Amino acid sequence: MSRKVAFYGIFAALAVLMGYVEAMVPSPVPIPGVKLGLANVIVLIALYFMGTGAAIGVNVIRVIISALLFNGFSGFLFSIAGAALSMLVMYLAKKVRSSSVIGVSVLGGVAHNIGQIAVAAVVLQTPGLMYYLPTLLISGIVTGIVIGIVAKYCLSHIEKSGLKY
Amino acid sequence: MKKFDIIIIAVIAAVAAVLYASGIFSPKDEGTTAVVYIDKEEYARLPLDEDNSITVETDEGYNVIEVKDGYADCTDADCRDGLCVDQKKISRKDETIICLPHKVIIEIE
Repeated sequence: MSRKVAFYGIFAALAVLMGYVEAMVPSPVPIPGVKLGLANVIVLIALYFMGTGAAIGVNVIRVIISALLFNGFSGFLFSIAGAALSMLVMYLAKKVRSSSVIGVSVLGGVAHNIGQIAVAAVVLQTPGLMYYLPTLLISGIVTGIVIGIVAKYCLSHIEKSGLKY
Repeated sequence: MKKFDIIIIAVIAAVAAVLYASGIFSPKDEGTTAVVYIDKEEYARLPLDEDNSITVETDEGYNVIEVKDGYADCTDADCRDGLCVDQKKISRKDETIICLPHKVIIEIE
């Protein structure tokens, strides 16, 4: 039990930290919503290393803590919508036998973008936001591949180290 | 990368391409007015055919909005990410420039 708590704590802390690091680095593309999604590396590792329940837990803790620390309530709405949709899609994709971390990561990234922009369009009452959708799909693919590769290398190192959950 | 991954990437890219090419999600007609909203409340209407510049002050900070040569643009702001300043100038209907931290939206009508 205490081992479990420790793992949750480490992963949640890492995920929050990744979000913070990312906010420090200016985005190369001036479109709201386009970002690397570093925190998803941690969520992906949690998903494969600890299982679906743990990944959901880590993600929820991350969203709540980031909202309290940096984003405020509207930020919370955007992130929870993105996180929920991306979590669901990644869980389903992982079940497909011929999938790997990279495909799961791409789907997660794209789902995250769709969730966020849908909530933003409703909250801000600005249907024009949907014009960003094709751009966000493509950026989701690119960042998803990068994040997936990073997660894959981390997972293979964890496996080599013999660490068990 | 496995088969599923490649299929997924190809499908999403194809959907994006179709959406982009079909133009359902692209702005079309030239607009006439840039409308500035603060937290969903209409704050100012700037006709695009006359050059103008206003500074929007909110509790969060300021945004300088400029209309020039038929385009509206956010040229300066003190928000934390500066994304509104980086966004392209706009002139077509329903195009937007959004400053999320200040809840300021510029929309073309």
